[in-house]
Amino acid sequence: MRSNTLLLSLALAVLAPPARSTAAARAAGPDASAKAAAAARATAASAAATEKKFKLKPGAEGKLCLDSHANFEATLQKASVHTPVRARDCAGCHNPHATAHGKLLADDPGKICATCHGPMIPAKAKSSHRPVVESKCVSCHDPHASDFPKNLVKRGNDLCAGCHKELVETAAAVKQKHRPIEKTGCTACHDPHGSTASASLLKAAVPDLCLGCHKVDNPLFTAKHGGYPVRTQRCTSCHNPHGSNRPSMLYDEVHPPVERGACSQCHEPATSKTPFKTKSTGLALCKLCHTPLIAQMTEKGRLHSPVLQGDACLTCHTPHASAKGKLLKGNLVTVCGQCHADTIERQERSPTKHKPVKDGECYKCHDPHSSDRPLMLTDANVINVCAGCHDWEKHATHPIGVSFADPRNKNLTMSCLSCHRAHGTEYKRLMPAPKTTDLCVKCHENFKR
Amino acid sequence: MTIAKKLWLAAAVAAAATGARAESFGLRPYLAVYADEAGAALKDPEGVACTDDRLVVADAGNARLVTFQLKDGAAVAGKELKLPQLAYPTRLQLDAAGVLYVLDGRKHEIAKVDPAGKFLEYVKFKGDSAYAFPRAFKVDAGGNVYVLDLTGKTSVLDPAGAVTRTLPRPPAPDNAMFTDVAVDGAGRIYVVDAVSATIWVAEKGAAALKPLGKSLKDNLNFPTYMTVLGQRLLVVDQNGHGLAAVGLDGSFFARTLGMGWSEGLVYYPVQICSNARNETFVADRNNNRVQMFLPAQ
Repeated sequence: MRSNTLLLSLALAVLAPPARSTAAARAAGPDASAKAAAAARATAASAAATEKKFKLKPGAEGKLCLDSHANFEATLQKASVHTPVRARDCAGCHNPHATAHGKLLADDPGKICATCHGPMIPAKAKSSHRPVVESKCVSCHDPHASDFPKNLVKRGNDLCAGCHKELVETAAAVKQKHRPIEKTGCTACHDPHGSTASASLLKAAVPDLCLGCHKVDNPLFTAKHGGYPVRTQRCTSCHNPHGSNRPSMLYDEVHPPVERGACSQCHEPATSKTPFKTKSTGLALCKLCHTPLIAQMTEKGRLHSPVLQGDACLTCHTPHASAKGKLLKGNLVTVCGQCHADTIERQERSPTKHKPVKDGECYKCHDPHSSDRPLMLTDANVINVCAGCHDWEKHATHPIGVSFADPRNKNLTMSCLSCHRAHGTEYKRLMPAPKTTDLCVKCHENFKR
Repeated sequence: MTIAKKLWLAAAVAAAATGARAESFGLRPYLAVYADEAGAALKDPEGVACTDDRLVVADAGNARLVTFQLKDGAAVAGKELKLPQLAYPTRLQLDAAGVLYVLDGRKHEIAKVDPAGKFLEYVKFKGDSAYAFPRAFKVDAGGNVYVLDLTGKTSVLDPAGAVTRTLPRPPAPDNAMFTDVAVDGAGRIYVVDAVSATIWVAEKGAAALKPLGKSLKDNLNFPTYMTVLGQRLLVVDQNGHGLAAVGLDGSFFARTLGMGWSEGLVYYPVQICSNARNETFVADRNNNRVQMFLPAQ
């Protein structure tokens, strides 16, 4: 009776589900529909080829595998079953005898998927999703079956949260939520594979993407934007598309003139022929309000080049609004890493990570604008800089401080940097030597062996 | 080029022909200068300038200049010079008449100081804006001053201070950071971008700078100073803690020195100078000293 039931369920599974799969693909769009149909055709052909290749009796292919993998029955009951699985074409992906690939896969996983699905990154893509680039399809899709559409391993945003945890959690927690995220999820705006239209996997470039939902030709919208014709501008320079805690979904950190609607403080009037043109450029524009701050920066012995070079303040700060404090363009690992990529990479290679560098808190040790000290340090005494986080005074045993000369150099005293490199080394504990003893004997030469 | 420099260069070239690299360009430590004659230690020395018998140090951390006599292979009688016109002396250059040019990081001016230590004047550099501060400079044999400002623009001033030529910021990526300018005997002007380790060049009379070969990032970490020595550019790799020799065609030749605290090693070197006696001085900033090197061979 049990085997009869199994045979019946197998027969139903083989016959019925492809229609559901094709319908789902149609809903996803013409491209997806065509790909799904092609995949189904490829599967049918593959199943026939498998039987021929292994000289199996007609219809024996799936049954043989399921006899051994009896626990697969539950998988077959899931809502979304992968077409080859439904067709019992196990050998479409696996080699039943031996293979050089894990899980008896017949080839590299990415190549196997591409056999039926083709390349998932569109030609001339402006952005592509890392798991797709790395052929890690199974990061998002279950190759056998799943309870979620498209064989996804988790439902909607929960899946994205696997990698983009902070972003997804923040989007769900903020006061002003963006409706498409709640209603449709991340895929309302992003293509999970790749986009030919825009960066960040966006289905269309901003503002076109936004204009798909937001109507801009009404008086209220115009009034809210001070009469400026913002329909051509990047909405995301002020609004956080993932929601925020501020009205109108403005980023949490807003430049005061923007908050006041005083766009003309920096830009020409809304009635101008060139309303978005700024009144000045570079530092001169920021100087209109920030003269004391700029004067304070330029009075010091070392001025950080970006303060004056190119876009000046806008090299690191955004003029309208930002999700980061101090209107920074992003995490300091990214912002500082624009120029100091070597330093960031050194940290990444280092077996021991220095937390402020890893977390993008460069400002804890360096003044980003200017300083009277080498390396733009925030304090003349390195030990004081380190003591901001490390309570070395309480437990350090090696003598350090201005009273202890460095045996290697009479103009130096022992400090944290006598033995550690703040941005990491190829060795543990930020030390510039493979073993502690290698480092110690640089000063304690009498112990050298 | 002096005979000594020619010899030094010939030795380096000959060594390169044998296939040796860093060793061929090797420098051997000869002397380290830690303090003035009164025993006051150097602190964050940012600049050095030298002749055969004179070494000047921009002792930035102490807001002073220290002038030593070079005698019998030693730097002696280090005299301190503090001038109200100099608040944070950084880079130094000496012209043919012995006038010292000092870039002041806080005043954003290039001061001229006569051999007796008397302040003469500030170089009359005027950029496009109030904030076009000088970042680096060089002085050629004719007394012309080549100023690279913090916006990346290069201006050439004649001895009277008149701007005779300007070169706009090279069309490099936005994150480029131009850290030094140099000029060779043929009038070619070079500037270096520390971020991409790319050297740019403008032929004599050219209106713009163009890349001198490819990025040297594989061999240089963060170049911040360079000087022309014969047919080579000698480049200070500040964050890479070393010196590199680069051909005037932009090809990498060799590098030398390494990071450390003991004599012979450097820790954030910032400026170098060479004299006719084949002596190379390095402002070894984070080691609070100036080191003198001789060719390894």
